[in-house]
Amino acid sequence: MNKLLALCCATLLAGCGATTTIDEYRPNNQIMEINGEESVVILGRRDAGHYDTDREFIDCVASKMEGADIGVFPEQQFVDAIYPWFEPRTAPKGLKRLTRLMEDPAIKQQIERNHIRYLVWLDGSTETHDKGGSISCAIGPGGGGCFGFAQWEKSSIYEAIVWDLTNLTEKGRLRVDSSGTSYLLGVVAPIPLLTPVKNDACASLGTQLKQFFTLDQVQ
Amino acid sequence: MPTTKISIFSILLAVLFISGCSTSAQVQIDSPFPTVVSKPKAVKAAIVFTDEFKTYLATPNRTTSIDLGSAQTELLSNAFAGLFRDIEFVSTAADVTLENALVITPSVQEVQVSTPSDTYLNVYEVWIKYNLDIQTASGDPVDSWFMPAYGKTPDSFMLSKTNAIEEATVIALRDAGAKLMLDFYRIPSVYNWLVREQLLDEEQ
Repeated sequence: MNKLLALCCATLLAGCGATTTIDEYRPNNQIMEINGEESVVILGRRDAGHYDTDREFIDCVASKMEGADIGVFPEQQFVDAIYPWFEPRTAPKGLKRLTRLMEDPAIKQQIERNHIRYLVWLDGSTETHDKGGSISCAIGPGGGGCFGFAQWEKSSIYEAIVWDLTNLTEKGRLRVDSSGTSYLLGVVAPIPLLTPVKNDACASLGTQLKQFFTLDQVQ
Repeated sequence: MPTTKISIFSILLAVLFISGCSTSAQVQIDSPFPTVVSKPKAVKAAIVFTDEFKTYLATPNRTTSIDLGSAQTELLSNAFAGLFRDIEFVSTAADVTLENALVITPSVQEVQVSTPSDTYLNVYEVWIKYNLDIQTASGDPVDSWFMPAYGKTPDSFMLSKTNAIEEATVIALRDAGAKLMLDFYRIPSVYNWLVREQLLDEEQ
């Protein structure tokens, strides 16, 4: 009986794992060097009408990069340092526009002063869909409890584009696609079995992104 | 007597509880704004910030008021300083001392706010509609330019209505600065005036 229960729990928990796929594109195999003084800035795209690339996800990816001793310049500090050229209305969507921006000596000077070498654009969102089941809770003089079963699916799709601010070129693209189902069981007490879809997407993207950069140990 | 005390206490508690659900918001904008990164053009301008503009209190609906005056004055002063090399800020057009300059009088036409309860979206949104009345120093009209700005919160999770509207307003004000920097010299009548006055240098 105990074995059956353990098997059931193991099966249930295994069902809470997210499925994550990473696609990587790099125009060439050139390594992306970064020295100890230089830093990377991770920026979220915020020009879409129906979603914003959330700051929590950007902070999460930034913390994964920092864990690899790569200097990460804070997003808000960067946007403020070259205001208003990276606001949702004005941020460059392509390299052509970035090149024009960098022709402005004031902007170039700010980027050089802050030693920013690479810019990583993150674009995407996490969405909940396919909600099913129902759970109801009640309380009375004799006690209370929940009964039922609910499930929902979450999917995180994010794309990272790496720009080199020295050469004004695109260095690569990463796309992470993570999905998983979460459950809520009502067996007297509500038991949540949550799939960390966004965390998984962040960890996978952060780890892969770290591998893009080679820390120049000489400097 | 104890029953009366309990009743009063219960009523007080209920009033406090219900007032916690109040949907009114008095928003004060306290966030500082960054300095614009721009090389100003060799153009002279006088910016007329009227007292009404400097103390503007927006009331987009019965339950919301936004104290925009000082924040919008700070932001636009900063943005205009990034556009013009010679600039003066005055309270009325009669105080302008610069010659051969543009005289710009900004005003707020309308402020709109939408909340999740209005739109069923998970965001708070703010629209600020500015109008820039542009004249020459001699009083000839150049243009009346409509300048809309928009801001929204990333989501509404764990945000009080006041904080959310403040956040959306700050984003809208920053958007106003961005719009001004990006589009001011693209206004055809302003461009034509610059050409007429031979104020465009070669790089422009």
